[in-house]
Amino acid sequence: MAVTPTAALVQTLNGIQFGFILFMIASGLTVILGILDVLNLAHGELFSLGAYTAIGVFGFIIGIIGPPGGGVVGTAVFVLAVLAAVLVTAAILLPVGTLFEAVFLRQIYDRDQVYQLVLTFALLLILLDVKKFIWGDSSIRTDAVYSAINTIPTSELVGLNYPTYNVFVILVGSAVVVGLFWFFERTKTGRIIRATAIDREMATAIGVSTDRVFTLVFALGAFLAGFAGAMAVPPTSATLEMGTNPLVLSFVVIVIGGLGSLRGAFVGALLVGVIRSWMITLYPPGEIAAPFAIMALILLVKPEGLFGTWGETA
Amino acid sequence: MKRTTTDHDSEGIGRRQLLSAVGGSAVAAALAGCSTLLSDGEAADQGGQSGGEISDEPIQAGLLTFTRGAPGVLGIQAQRGAELAVQRINDAGGIGGQREIELDVVNEGSNPLDSYNQFIEEEKEVTFGPISSGTHSQIAPEVEKNEVINVSTDGTVTTLYEETVPDPTYSFRFQNYDIMEVVTMAREAVERIGADNISTVAGVNPGYSFGEDEMRVFTQAIQKLTDAEIVYEGFPELGASDMANHITSINNEEPDVTFSSLWGGDVTTFVRQANANDMFENTTVFGTTLYSAAGDVPGDALAGTDIYSGSRNYYWGLPALGNWQPGRELFDAATQQESVTVPTAHYMSGYGAVTAWATAVEKAIDLLGTYPSQEQIAQVLEGHGFFTPAGYHNIAEDHQGASNSFAGQMVYDDDLGAARLEDVNTYAATETAPPPGVTGSDWLDSWSA
Repeated sequence: MAVTPTAALVQTLNGIQFGFILFMIASGLTVILGILDVLNLAHGELFSLGAYTAIGVFGFIIGIIGPPGGGVVGTAVFVLAVLAAVLVTAAILLPVGTLFEAVFLRQIYDRDQVYQLVLTFALLLILLDVKKFIWGDSSIRTDAVYSAINTIPTSELVGLNYPTYNVFVILVGSAVVVGLFWFFERTKTGRIIRATAIDREMATAIGVSTDRVFTLVFALGAFLAGFAGAMAVPPTSATLEMGTNPLVLSFVVIVIGGLGSLRGAFVGALLVGVIRSWMITLYPPGEIAAPFAIMALILLVKPEGLFGTWGETA
Repeated sequence: MKRTTTDHDSEGIGRRQLLSAVGGSAVAAALAGCSTLLSDGEAADQGGQSGGEISDEPIQAGLLTFTRGAPGVLGIQAQRGAELAVQRINDAGGIGGQREIELDVVNEGSNPLDSYNQFIEEEKEVTFGPISSGTHSQIAPEVEKNEVINVSTDGTVTTLYEETVPDPTYSFRFQNYDIMEVVTMAREAVERIGADNISTVAGVNPGYSFGEDEMRVFTQAIQKLTDAEIVYEGFPELGASDMANHITSINNEEPDVTFSSLWGGDVTTFVRQANANDMFENTTVFGTTLYSAAGDVPGDALAGTDIYSGSRNYYWGLPALGNWQPGRELFDAATQQESVTVPTAHYMSGYGAVTAWATAVEKAIDLLGTYPSQEQIAQVLEGHGFFTPAGYHNIAEDHQGASNSFAGQMVYDDDLGAARLEDVNTYAATETAPPPGVTGSDWLDSWSA
């Protein structure tokens, strides 16, 4: 199949956009793994919970401000409202993460990792039932956000046919990347978290409350998962099963990047997104196998992943 | 474009004529949607002829269908259809005028074989379902082993009665199967665009056996009807949230026809993302089960699209509801049920499977004067013809249902609050299905190019 330069560019952008969504999910997973040493099997359900919650939040906020008004100001207000809805959704996940860590996980840090896996799997099933109880069995969707943002001209201005919502995801995803690296590199709290990751005992010895750090980190992971769910849901629907595939792909991403490495998660997510995208273009049956093939290759060549583990650098 | 239309008018048909036409019992009349033509109180009296040897013990029946998740979009339609059929049978006095049906509905889920075996342990007298082709391939051999009739609602994989259970006795399938719906859409593409105007074809189909089966058959059929070249085949996994890559590939190729067997929520995701990528400026989409998302796909996503969908053996709008009282009554009853915005082909899958079995049992009672055995019901079901509000159906000797197929342009109807099909074409089963005893592949091979 001959691929035109325009199609090649759009497919690459599709991959980058998918990669940013993956990064938003995987970053939370890898931060929790890096600091708490817990592989959180419920992380996909937190992503899904974010998607379900976002539909209600979008509806509420757009119900207040109405559809995008004409002109630059009206459009800007609408986009800011969507961003606010995404942040509110993610914020709603904060207490959920805090509760999980403080009530459940904290009790079993000293036990074998298999207990943590069983516990987080139990949380996965509980969240699944909670979603079923609140939102029912059927899929739900928000129509207003995707179609409204797509009416804003962006890629058309440079002669490209690419949905504005996807541009929006790439821009917001870039901001999340910058924000996360800034947080861990430049802020005191971020440095404390990294210090705890490097040497938990030393951090405790200099007065760091590991309990607080652990709670904060798990809540941050839930925040990122919720943020990703809110960003991912407008072009599709929220379904009970939607947490499974992102969880599996996030595992692939953090194995490629290095367990616990934020930088690795970023590079791994973009790698998986773009290569998957090109695989669909050139050999569609390879779509599902491609990310796992990359992971297998990386494990053979560099078993610790591209960027090793969390610590000296984010 | 109107290819064929079938207008029926029930006015002027007397009760006796009606009973004779639909199979001779109130149950058959009720299931054909003609119960209002029976006078009050007569329905139960006319419910088959038991000869006094039929117990009044309720018939325990089981329905295996998807009741939740993404496949629930189809499965719940089938459930509601089956429930309405059971309600009509019971209101008409039950099978043989004495035996009401108690329908046990179980989620097809991840262990459908266990659920089916549970039905057998509970000594169900008949089972209906499943929806999934994979499930059907699993349970059909068990049905033969257990010697309890199963009339599947869907599970439409082509190879079921060609390879999996080549000589069935107790397994029957009501709904048109894959080859029928795919050939319908291949013919529809030629009908709408013209064979000379189809030189390139792409496909976006679900990434499992059903989607692969449909694309394979469509390729075979369209290449017999046209000189088309297949330029792209994508298989997104079920429930995929991102179809942008497939859409970009289609935009890159600009095929004359894009074939799709996506269904349920996947249709909505595909149509919304395709519209956002201006895909409908580059191709016309023909799909077998796109209309299954009728109640889900939003109006703005369908605006400006160029989509033709099949609707298997039932489309609620043909004949026009105003001209076809049974259709009107079914539509009204269905839309009052929970989770049914409009009844789709899967609604008829459930309704028709129950109707096929019930009318066959009534016929057997009529012939035998007593309640028939499983084997006797199976014998009657072979070659059994019956009516539903969708029209006349026949279960052929190969145990495969054969009915008219419908296809039309999918548009959004603001008044309905759902999608509808416009300018609907009807295809007879002889145009879309191989003769009994001939495999689908051999039949397509035999077409002159």
